[in-house]
Amino acid sequence: MSENCPVDPASHTTRPRRAAGPRTARATDPRFDEILASANDAIISIDEAQTITLFNRGAERIFGYSAADMIGQPLDRLIPERFVARHAGQVRDFSATPEASRMMAQRGEIYGRRRDGSEFPAEASISKFRGPDGLVFTVILRDITDRRAAEQMLRGAHDELEKRVRERTAELEERNAQLQQEIHERRRAEKQLAEQARELARSNADLEQFASVASHDLQEPLRMVASYTQLLNRRYRSRLDADADEFMGFIVDGALRMQRLINDLLAFSRVGSRGKSFQPVDLGTIVAAALGSLRAAIEESGAHIRVGALPVVHGDPTQMEQLLQNLIGNAIKFRKGPEPQVHIDARREDTLWRIDVCDDGIGIDPRFSERIFVIFQRLHTAAEYPGTGIGLAICKKIVERHGGHIDVRSTPGQGACFSFTLPDREEPPHA
Amino acid sequence: MRDRPIRILLVEDNPGDVRLTIEAFKDNRVETPLEVARDGIEALAYLRREGTHAGKPLPDLILLDLNLPRMDGGEVLAAIKADPALMHIPVVVLTTSRAEQDVQRAYQLQAACFITKPVDFECFIQAVKLIDAFWLSVVTLPCGAR
Repeated sequence: MSENCPVDPASHTTRPRRAAGPRTARATDPRFDEILASANDAIISIDEAQTITLFNRGAERIFGYSAADMIGQPLDRLIPERFVARHAGQVRDFSATPEASRMMAQRGEIYGRRRDGSEFPAEASISKFRGPDGLVFTVILRDITDRRAAEQMLRGAHDELEKRVRERTAELEERNAQLQQEIHERRRAEKQLAEQARELARSNADLEQFASVASHDLQEPLRMVASYTQLLNRRYRSRLDADADEFMGFIVDGALRMQRLINDLLAFSRVGSRGKSFQPVDLGTIVAAALGSLRAAIEESGAHIRVGALPVVHGDPTQMEQLLQNLIGNAIKFRKGPEPQVHIDARREDTLWRIDVCDDGIGIDPRFSERIFVIFQRLHTAAEYPGTGIGLAICKKIVERHGGHIDVRSTPGQGACFSFTLPDREEPPHA
Repeated sequence: MRDRPIRILLVEDNPGDVRLTIEAFKDNRVETPLEVARDGIEALAYLRREGTHAGKPLPDLILLDLNLPRMDGGEVLAAIKADPALMHIPVVVLTTSRAEQDVQRAYQLQAACFITKPVDFECFIQAVKLIDAFWLSVVTLPCGAR
């Protein structure tokens, strides 16, 4: 039993009481008085009637009463009123149990009441022993206001942290939802694009099919009309009159023009669809080939063609030849008189090559400098200058397929300069 | 020079073109027996002298249109060049097609030459005249497996 007895009720703060038997020796030990006095905790003893019999210095400090005030007073004075009844019951329960001590906070927090009436949270244990005058209960109590405050602060900080985590999580979730939405929208856009690409490919295939049908099936009847009219003309010219000859001339002319139109349209439609892959192309060679194809026109007109130094560019050789042949052919075709002058030159402009095809022909009114590149746009009657109005449209399409730009500078009556650019995509020379 | 006129087989489905070819030869004053097959199947039946064609002589030159019903010109050309009895006969492909792939395929199949039918009849006469001059006068043709 003595092991469960942390303090001896006998001290300087206890009411003088006669100690009996073996306790006397300890009770008189001054060290016990010192322990009681120096303890930081409140140490309070009560008797079976819950009257205070011991009130140490720690208790004086915590409760604000002096020992002299409290010795002989009921313990209730130190307990907030709402807990008084419960506390008394608990002490009675404790007296009936065989345990020597217990923690007092087991059925809820306990509070003390200071002299000024204020309450404070406390942690306490109660122990009992049987003294000469019956049971003695000793309460060792500690003011845990600071710990509570620290706990409160910690809980607050924890709550704050949790709140921030929740907020950040919510933000992230919202951002995530936004991202998901963006991904969803992007996917939908991609799908739409793919769909459009398929649609375009289909439509291109249809056009290609149409072009092929046009090239063969439309020309077949045309050839019949033209050939038989010509045969008629050959065989019966002398037997029909001048009107008939003229009519037949119109039929043949119409059929031949129709054929040129079909071929030019085909060529136009094939610039994009039938283009070959790009490769290094020596424009000097290309111009020589174009001049070869134009030999008849050059000889007939007496044209003087001057070709400057031309670069090697990256492009489709067939289309480059088509482009230069069209431009040089036009320069000769739209001449003012015999012996037209045509110059072909190239110069460097940053990362571009600019190629000029200039003539001293009839020129073009600047008002029409855009329109002449539009398909079927013609500035002259077929009688003045024959043509289908597709040539320059093909040129524009070829240049644009090569990533360049074409335009014309002209003073009417003094010639025209068709100028196009080609990006310089030559491979750097190998080291 | 040979002692008999040269024989030509024209494989062409369009009657207008058949007549035009005949007229073109006539205008060139070429007296030549011109046999006509209307499609590829008939052409091969003629060349192999099957059925009603039994006993007919083999042509010295074949003018072959590429766009034919039932069996196109390319197939006919391949069949001719795969047949030991026919492979020696020169085949001139005569067509409206200008398509590069048609030209290449024709030469791959060992066509003697490829001529795009001109819209202009005068040009056509010229083409026929050239065929006449080259194949019927300049070139010595094999006598064939007769």
